Amino acid sequence: MSQTAEHEASNETSEHVREIGHDEFDPIGTLTLIGIYFLILVFLWFFMYFVEFLGNDPTVVSGTLVFLATGERLA
Amino acid sequence: MTNTYIESFPAEAKVVRAAFYSSFLALAIGGLFGIIQTLHRTGYYRFMDSADYYTVLTAHGVLLAITFTIFFLVGVFTWATTTSLDRPVEDIRFTWAWYGLMVLGTVLTAIPIFAGFTDSEMSASVLFTFYAPLQGHPLFYFGLVLFVVGTWLAGVDWFRSWWAWKQEHPDERIPLPTFMVLTTTLMWYIATLGVAAAILLFLLPWSLGLVESVNPLLTRTLFWFFGHPVVYFWLMPAYMMWYVLLPKISGGKLFSDPLARVVFVLFLILSVPTGIHHQYLDPGIAEGFKFIAMTNTMFLLLPSLLTAFTVVASMEHGARQRGGTGYLGWLKALPWRDPVFAGMALAGLMFAAAGFSGMINAGMNINYLVHNTFWVVGHFHLTVGTAVALTFMAVTYWFLPQVTGKALWSRSVALGQVVLWFVGMTFMSNAMHRGGLLGIPRRTAEPQYEGFEFEAAVGSVGELDAQIALGGALLTLSLVLFFANVVGTALNSRSDDLPANEYADTLSGPSDAPLVLDNLKLWTAIAIVLVIFAYSFPLLSIIERGGLFGPELTELPVSIGLGLEYLWVTTVSTVTAAGETAITIIAGVSS
Repeated sequence: MSQTAEHEASNETSEHVREIGHDEFDPIGTLTLIGIYFLILVFLWFFMYFVEFLGNDPTVVSGTLVFLATGERLA
Repeated sequence: MTNTYIESFPAEAKVVRAAFYSSFLALAIGGLFGIIQTLHRTGYYRFMDSADYYTVLTAHGVLLAITFTIFFLVGVFTWATTTSLDRPVEDIRFTWAWYGLMVLGTVLTAIPIFAGFTDSEMSASVLFTFYAPLQGHPLFYFGLVLFVVGTWLAGVDWFRSWWAWKQEHPDERIPLPTFMVLTTTLMWYIATLGVAAAILLFLLPWSLGLVESVNPLLTRTLFWFFGHPVVYFWLMPAYMMWYVLLPKISGGKLFSDPLARVVFVLFLILSVPTGIHHQYLDPGIAEGFKFIAMTNTMFLLLPSLLTAFTVVASMEHGARQRGGTGYLGWLKALPWRDPVFAGMALAGLMFAAAGFSGMINAGMNINYLVHNTFWVVGHFHLTVGTAVALTFMAVTYWFLPQVTGKALWSRSVALGQVVLWFVGMTFMSNAMHRGGLLGIPRRTAEPQYEGFEFEAAVGSVGELDAQIALGGALLTLSLVLFFANVVGTALNSRSDDLPANEYADTLSGPSDAPLVLDNLKLWTAIAIVLVIFAYSFPLLSIIERGGLFGPELTELPVSIGLGLEYLWVTTVSTVTAAGETAITIIAGVSS
């Protein structure tokens, strides 16, 4: 039952001004948005280091002390 | 004639409508409990005993995470198979039978939960995560079993439709919506084996007094075997709506049918062997196993990021066909005043934020810092509470006219409702995440302690509580508007001017997708092999260390007089012996 996207009745402002086919469509806007999201993720990843590791005591994983974050070695 | 769903499939429309109304009833009760908890936890208004908080929490979790979501999705999946295969269900009595079983299961589960508010002996305040050592009334487990069996039969119904269709169309590709339903159902079958084992072998016999104890770590592990993939059972129908409905509402076409198929295949393969990432802090599971679960979890980011790309590209296609231009200017050309579009787009935006907090949860060492804190609650209110729930509410505005034949009561109220949900959740979830970073615990009626205060680097706990209470109030208001629209629409008279029952066409169609993608047997086999890799060693080592039924039961005397108990103990010892043999064999192979 799939069909062309012509009139969308639930969409009162639907102004279908042009038909863009597979080969003409260049999703540069998608690249821009996903790029922004990626930058946000990278920023948050760095931010996390400050919030969690510098704001808390060292995390113990499998008996190995992670002291890099604080620069201190625990006994 | 407007060619709505109810005109094409009148009998099926009744079942879908019943499923939707059942899910809305659960949403109403669950939502009410949500605001009660919000006000209680933050200390703004405490009218009940704090012990009752956990009964409220259980009802909130079970009714929203299980009942609301799953009733809605069985409706959507029934719509998807009938519409995309263009054929009615094979036997409508069977369809009503599984729906009835799900209703019966829900009622039986709800009785002991609600009995928790009374003075009766019966209760099941075991939270949505109902593993041992918390023990509920047997009726709770029995109801859950019936509910899950109902969903299994629903899956059989969808597969029957597909098999019958395949006989008539032997050389055609599976239509995309049906493909999504089938892969999700296969994933659900594998996932629910864990919860079925947990309930039938351990929790139900334990609750009935047939066995004296259970191995808590084993029941936890079996719960999370199901407990993580269940989130994809909620999410996949939301994804389906983003793939097959959103592009059309945006005025464009789905960017790529093959990519959509790849995404659903990846979810089938990767959803289940990840559950141990909920148990990073559980002693008794070796870190190597946790590391494997973490690796699988990180791979799961792949289909979600593929979805982000495909869905945004499809929206952009619509926007450009509507005259949108520029790098970001096309966003303005999208139909933001359409509640169906706005709701789904805002849900997707929230899901992007949830992606980040999910990555934090998934990382083994960072998880240690947020585990069991309010952060986790903030995370799943973005995922199931917004990405899923807001998408479901938004598409309800499209589905209601389809399954009732009546025009939506008010599009303006609908638009206000979805925006209000987004704003309310922004306040509530953001504050929950921040609270978690301060170490504020989850599942706690009164998270305040004498002689100790949570210290906030920015803001204060009072400010966080205010945000949570404000967010909760906005969400409740949003729910009221939602139900006003549902009831108002139901009371409308039938309309002849409704949109047709259609879904999005594709830019790159199924003919571009490799044929192997439709080989469901292959993907199921790979999924099972991955589950065996991820779970057999952890489960065997848990059983070896703690016993199938915990340490005590191994000394249980065999009583021939009690037939049932004898039968049970015999079964148990046989299974234990089989487990030990398997461990010996594996030890032999590995040494």
